[in-house]
Amino acid sequence: MSFRKRNIGLSPGVDRNAVPNATSQPAAPETTPGIRPSPDDGRPTTSTGTRSLDNLLAGHAGLPMGKILLVEENGTTDFAGALLRYYAAEGVIQEQKVHVVGVPEQWGRSLPGLIGSAESLDEKRSDRRKDDRMKIAWRYERLGEFGAVAGSRGAPTNPGEQDAAAKEAPAFCHAFDLTKRLTHPSITNMSFIPVMPSKESPFPAILKRLQTAITSSAANTIHRIVIPSLLNPTIYPPNASQPEHVLQFFHALKALMSAHNTRVTAMITVPLSLYPRSSGLVRWIELLSDGVIELCPFPHSADAMATSGAATSQEEPPQGMLKTHRLPVLHERGGGSDQNVGQDWAFVLSRRRFEIKPFSLPPAEGDTEAQEASAPGGMPKKSDLEF
Amino acid sequence: MPSQPPLPPLLAPYVSNLPDSSLTLVSSILGATSNWLILRFLHAALSSPSPNAAFGSDELHNGTKKKVVLVSFMRSYEFWRTEAKRLGLDLARLAEKQQFAFIDGLSELFYAPQPTATSPSISPAGLGSSPRTTLPMRSPPGAVPGRSPQPAGPTATGARGNATSKQAEPGIAKKLHFSGRGLASLDALEKDISSVIEQQKSSMEDGDELLLIIDQPDLLLAATGPSMGIGATEMSEWITALQQHAHATVLTLATDAPLIHNASTSGGLATPIETEHAALVIGLAHRARSVMQLRTLDTGAAKDVSGVLRISRGGGLNASEESLEEREALYFIQRDGGVKVFGRGES
Repeated sequence: MSFRKRNIGLSPGVDRNAVPNATSQPAAPETTPGIRPSPDDGRPTTSTGTRSLDNLLAGHAGLPMGKILLVEENGTTDFAGALLRYYAAEGVIQEQKVHVVGVPEQWGRSLPGLIGSAESLDEKRSDRRKDDRMKIAWRYERLGEFGAVAGSRGAPTNPGEQDAAAKEAPAFCHAFDLTKRLTHPSITNMSFIPVMPSKESPFPAILKRLQTAITSSAANTIHRIVIPSLLNPTIYPPNASQPEHVLQFFHALKALMSAHNTRVTAMITVPLSLYPRSSGLVRWIELLSDGVIELCPFPHSADAMATSGAATSQEEPPQGMLKTHRLPVLHERGGGSDQNVGQDWAFVLSRRRFEIKPFSLPPAEGDTEAQEASAPGGMPKKSDLEF
Repeated sequence: MPSQPPLPPLLAPYVSNLPDSSLTLVSSILGATSNWLILRFLHAALSSPSPNAAFGSDELHNGTKKKVVLVSFMRSYEFWRTEAKRLGLDLARLAEKQQFAFIDGLSELFYAPQPTATSPSISPAGLGSSPRTTLPMRSPPGAVPGRSPQPAGPTATGARGNATSKQAEPGIAKKLHFSGRGLASLDALEKDISSVIEQQKSSMEDGDELLLIIDQPDLLLAATGPSMGIGATEMSEWITALQQHAHATVLTLATDAPLIHNASTSGGLATPIETEHAALVIGLAHRARSVMQLRTLDTGAAKDVSGVLRISRGGGLNASEESLEEREALYFIQRDGGVKVFGRGES
């Protein structure tokens, strides 16, 4: 009896969270799968499909609706593409409408397969860990876990809400396996918008399709806009990279997002090797985006260093550095006051997860190698700060 | 201190009581945006003077009523409204009282949704059928910009008041549309903005002041550029023309290193977007009365500092008549939206 009552008592706790939500801005209906109010200010957020990336986004534990996240990548690797696939796959699982710009439909077929909710994967992982660890001070064992996951401030501060959400709502974020292929009934629902080469800018046609798709859909449909490798010359015609074309597109996209600010999110990747951050064009693209994240993969030859870069033998070695240049909402307000800003992050992409964790220098014996390897990542950062 | 005053005392003399025909430049970078400072300008001009009168440097000015026209190219009205509410400013009410007008340079600047059969389905999401209702309204004052506001004013404002309250989104006085190329398109934008300013002025009494805030006009330059017939010269003339309508003007501009320094350092490698931007910003800084520069900490991020605010004299300051104390301070934006401005080493 008492157990049942307690269970009922939990649900107003969730409602209380939604009340500021309703007053401050029109929220997506609570029943919408894949949408939850931000623990920070109650605005609706959706998952990027990568749990540790969600946790990085300035305490919102997800990508706020109506925001554009720009992921930049140095070099020829495709870590950003993996993030983008998780993002698209998460949209498919949540039965949101996914619009993919510029790539053929094969891209949609290569989305990573579903394993389960991200929580279940975490539990499995910690179970596995528990098995091969000595059972000393088991009460404190989870403490280390909290620190390990990048900025999981949402989880430890109000675990009650997390539990309630896990019980009642369907999973907010899922885990995917890169070696499998996603099969889901709504995968055919994805729309692919080709880039048509033309004398004029190729972007108005794209915008028009996005606009009509969003305005003609039902008011509770959630949309995701996925733009892989923007301005990549294999996809986009040469004139697309003229500032008046691409910047007008970004501006109009921003306008579209703010007009439908509870229904649309977008994630865009840009190859930095072709369009360096030191150019005015890329800086304007960044200024027009709400969140800017830069991936700096370590050179491939640095395998030896990478193994010593892991703090313990149990951790996977980092594959690159991740920098946050701008975070949605936080920087729009002026920046600061977030524990995640300015930290050095490292990322690891394994078969089952893309994990972002604080970067720590390896123990002394691997020190010189680590510094050499991180030098290409470390240098631009310094110049970024010197304005 | 339990709660911060909306306007930090250190900042108050710089954002309130801007002298006549002055230009204030607010420069921002990627990691240090200027929106919070613009909100402080709004607060200084629009809030009822009772609680913060003590912070204003000049008591005489409290009698004058101030109006603000905000032109934003980067942020939606929704953003400004919710953020201003945190400071206790109700922009919607102020817009009704004709103290504040918002000009939307974001939502339909380059790509307006066609008024086709789809437009009814747009309206629940907030776009509405405003383009069609406001377009006919615009032409009478726009055709004679600033020349005869008195006869046209009352009728136009009356019609405008009805139009905005009934059909268009409340609070947005006008949505800007960019069309064509070169000077003609800039002139059209100028007419749109100045017609709103004149409407505001038509209800002004003697001694009232109108503050014009343009949020990131440099976007217009970046997204068009010399290939569309718009360069730094045209932009800065455009700003001069708008300045003439207002008592004081505040501009925000991006001053990220690639946008400013590439033009001078890398020789022939600079692209037009960089050279024109640098020319615009540097030219405006020479004309400005004061330059408020926002940047991140040089030494990296900190948990209790959002960035550095540097206030310096601009080239347009008449040093013999007035003095402006230059200073550099740190600022910190709290989670509730409050701002602390403090010197280095203080807290």
